[in-house]
Amino acid sequence: MKPAITCLASVLTLLLLSALFNPAIAHTTEQGFVLLLPTKVYIWSGVLAVLITTLALCVLPNKLSHQIFSDANLFLIKQQPVAKTIVSLLSFCILLLWLTSGLFGPHDPLKNILPLSIWTLFWMGFVVLNALLGNVWNWLNPWSGMYQLVVPKAIRENPPLRISERLYYVPAIVLLFGCTAFVLADIAPEDPLRLFWVVSVYWLTTFIALILFGDTVWLKYGEFLSVMLRAYSKLGPLQRVRHSTTHSQLRIGLPAWHLKKPLNRSMGFACFIVTLLACGSFDGLNETFWWLAKIGVNPLAFPGRSAVVGQTVAGILIASVALLVVVALCIKLGLRLVAMHYRKSGDPSTLEKQPISFRNAFAAMSVSLLPIALAYHFAHYLTSFMVNAQYALQAYSDPLNDGADILKLGQHFVSTGFLNTRDSVKIIWLTQGLAVVTGHLLSVLLAHNIALQLHKNRTQAILSQTPFAILMVGYTFLGLWLLAAPRGA
Amino acid sequence: MSKYPLSDISRRQALKKLAVGAGAIASSGTLPGLIGHSQAQSTQPIRIGFQVHRTGIGAAYGRWYDRTTTAAVKRINEQGGINGRMVEIVAEDDGTDPKRGAEVLEKFASKHQCDVSFGTLFSHVVMGSSPRAGELKMPYFVVSEGHHVASGQLNRYTLQPGITDVKSQVEAMGPYVAKNLGKKVTMIYPDFAFGHDHRDYFSTAFENQGGEILAKIAIPPTETSFTKYFAKIPRDTEVIYHVMVGPAVLTFVKEMGEFFGPSKPAIFGFIDSLEAVDIASPGLEFLEGTYFWEGNPRYAQADQSSHDKLYRAAVGVDNNGASVTDSKDVSTYAHMFGCWETLYIIKAGMESCDYKGPADRSKLIEAVEAMSDMPLSDEHPQGAKIFNGKTHQAFGHQYISKVNGGKLELVHTTSIEDTFYEDEVDYTKQSF
Repeated sequence: MKPAITCLASVLTLLLLSALFNPAIAHTTEQGFVLLLPTKVYIWSGVLAVLITTLALCVLPNKLSHQIFSDANLFLIKQQPVAKTIVSLLSFCILLLWLTSGLFGPHDPLKNILPLSIWTLFWMGFVVLNALLGNVWNWLNPWSGMYQLVVPKAIRENPPLRISERLYYVPAIVLLFGCTAFVLADIAPEDPLRLFWVVSVYWLTTFIALILFGDTVWLKYGEFLSVMLRAYSKLGPLQRVRHSTTHSQLRIGLPAWHLKKPLNRSMGFACFIVTLLACGSFDGLNETFWWLAKIGVNPLAFPGRSAVVGQTVAGILIASVALLVVVALCIKLGLRLVAMHYRKSGDPSTLEKQPISFRNAFAAMSVSLLPIALAYHFAHYLTSFMVNAQYALQAYSDPLNDGADILKLGQHFVSTGFLNTRDSVKIIWLTQGLAVVTGHLLSVLLAHNIALQLHKNRTQAILSQTPFAILMVGYTFLGLWLLAAPRGA
Repeated sequence: MSKYPLSDISRRQALKKLAVGAGAIASSGTLPGLIGHSQAQSTQPIRIGFQVHRTGIGAAYGRWYDRTTTAAVKRINEQGGINGRMVEIVAEDDGTDPKRGAEVLEKFASKHQCDVSFGTLFSHVVMGSSPRAGELKMPYFVVSEGHHVASGQLNRYTLQPGITDVKSQVEAMGPYVAKNLGKKVTMIYPDFAFGHDHRDYFSTAFENQGGEILAKIAIPPTETSFTKYFAKIPRDTEVIYHVMVGPAVLTFVKEMGEFFGPSKPAIFGFIDSLEAVDIASPGLEFLEGTYFWEGNPRYAQADQSSHDKLYRAAVGVDNNGASVTDSKDVSTYAHMFGCWETLYIIKAGMESCDYKGPADRSKLIEAVEAMSDMPLSDEHPQGAKIFNGKTHQAFGHQYISKVNGGKLELVHTTSIEDTFYEDEVDYTKQSF
């Protein structure tokens, strides 16, 4: 692997240069305070909570398990296709404003509206908000309005190309991988001009894809942001359920209730979710001392992203493939346990059941990883959001960086003081930890519920999900460890 | 681009100048399209490319470097700018990455038409950018503290006039430690180049003072637990010299406190370990009574100079070294003054050579090389300095503070001469 050797050589060269030329000091980060916290206790408490819940579910009556995710009707909502188009058009106009800022605004990424809006407000903030509110992205995406406005009805009703069902979600997975690589491996993903081009090209290619394949198909199976946001939005307590051609029903339940039914999930969607979790997990792992040591980088003298591009991209790929394999093995092993139990017991009640195929089990069970992925997304970005949201506020008050104060902020300095005291760092860490543990608890509940419905036999259901449950307990440890581990990049 | 607002006064002055200029043009009947090159230049701002660590591992420093730079440029413009021209900062994020750093310099030169570039802290970014600065013939004023400039590894276009280098800082500590804290030292340092420099520079300087280094304990960079290393400290150690960095440094201090209890030897460290960290943080009580090198005293001292007072107020830093709007937001006070002072040196250099534009870049470098004494002033609030034009490196006072009541109290100021070492290069012999 020539590129890998080249990258390794670059790292070694930079390390050698560093050794020769006396690098400046690395900064004592807020991680210092995290290392002073009893995080081992917190981590094992979180793991124990998930483990106990998993065990408790084994003895919980099926009825109660189902009731956990019961939902209630709130009211009917009339569908508003025109309003939806207008909102999407407004959203497109806002995107144009952001892009204008990227092209003509300040070059400093912490003073330019484009990177602050894309990475902080949208990627860190809106993704979580959308999950809590329901899929408002369905209205806010910047393509649908333009699609309705400029694409002739004939083309909208009969798009020129069709995407094979076997390829559903494949573009979304590829694009998710590309986005993660850009975020983690590119040397300047926040550079306003660079981001202008990336966002513009992405908007345009997506719009072309909408014309070619139709908006419903591409936004549902191809465009990774829409796929991701829609998937996460299924975790929210409030859900719109189709009632008729003109109305939806707003229903409420425990977060993730909407995912309880193992509908005909596709393998592509399951793979997308596993990749989403893998990418999120790697975006955290790649900063740890552990990872840096693995790729031969001194964590106290990180040589810069350009020195580890190959390793980072390889890491995302390895993490994605590895998690897919591990999840698949867990599902497969679970089904094997069920089969063994069936052979041993010879229980006539099980004879009536059709065995669940690996494909169906994988597609259904992987969905239960969504709460973990979202929880980690929230936890991982929380501190960055708290700092960069202040920059965003400043940038919106002074978009051209010419001294304006549109929002009347007065003297406003961005502060990271809350990362400089043990007490505030403790509160932040516990909030992150609580989110991670809550995500895992929801995942365990969801997996159990889905398994009960898939197998319709309690023993089989428990056996089938045992390896998967062990994976989730292990992942709780990983998620919390990532928050506590010393970081150097 | 990043533009900094003019004050009302300077805005009015600028408008007045523009009005006078327009009137003169109108009366002479000169068409706007025929304005002479030098005349057009005189109304254009001086553009300074600010290579800032906005993202990456240097971001915490970058925030304060940006804040200091903003304050300095605001003041310079309020004072009339440079040669009557306003100063405009063009900030670009280098991601604390050497490759990106070189790209940013390229943008300063070709896209933004900057006159000079400045502001880099992290040494690997300086190392990656400096060759490109040389190729572009772009003066590159770094605020890095590294010895790379004075070591002769860079080029004539790279200068470090606003902050002292680590070699002079460390070597200047030897006499004070030997005379006041003890003659038998154990050094604890991270096992990579940064720690090795401290080990080598300090042990040489200390042994020259008749001191003895009893042990050199190198800690692997990935280590996060230190108690096992403290057991290696010889019993007759009188002084511990520590220079740990990274996220585990607070753990290091805590475990050292637990290891020694109240009967600790004298302890001397570099504030780099705890830059931007509140010394009064819970868990750091053990630091009480220990000593630190400081590049610039974080706490306003009893005999605070009017210059430090002005500088603090301009940047928005309180008497404890924290932001005026958040007492927990502790600044990188030991380093960021370098941005302020460097900008004033650029101003002095440009005024000295009557800088008109990029064609005068070599004249600017020669003007800065010709500088020597920089007295304590509003432009040099950290203290007086002597600039060595041959090595492109400034030398200045170093400060030793003792933790007293959770605050750093200045106990010693070195002379500038204490920081001198033999020249290792003469950049003036290099052609432009």
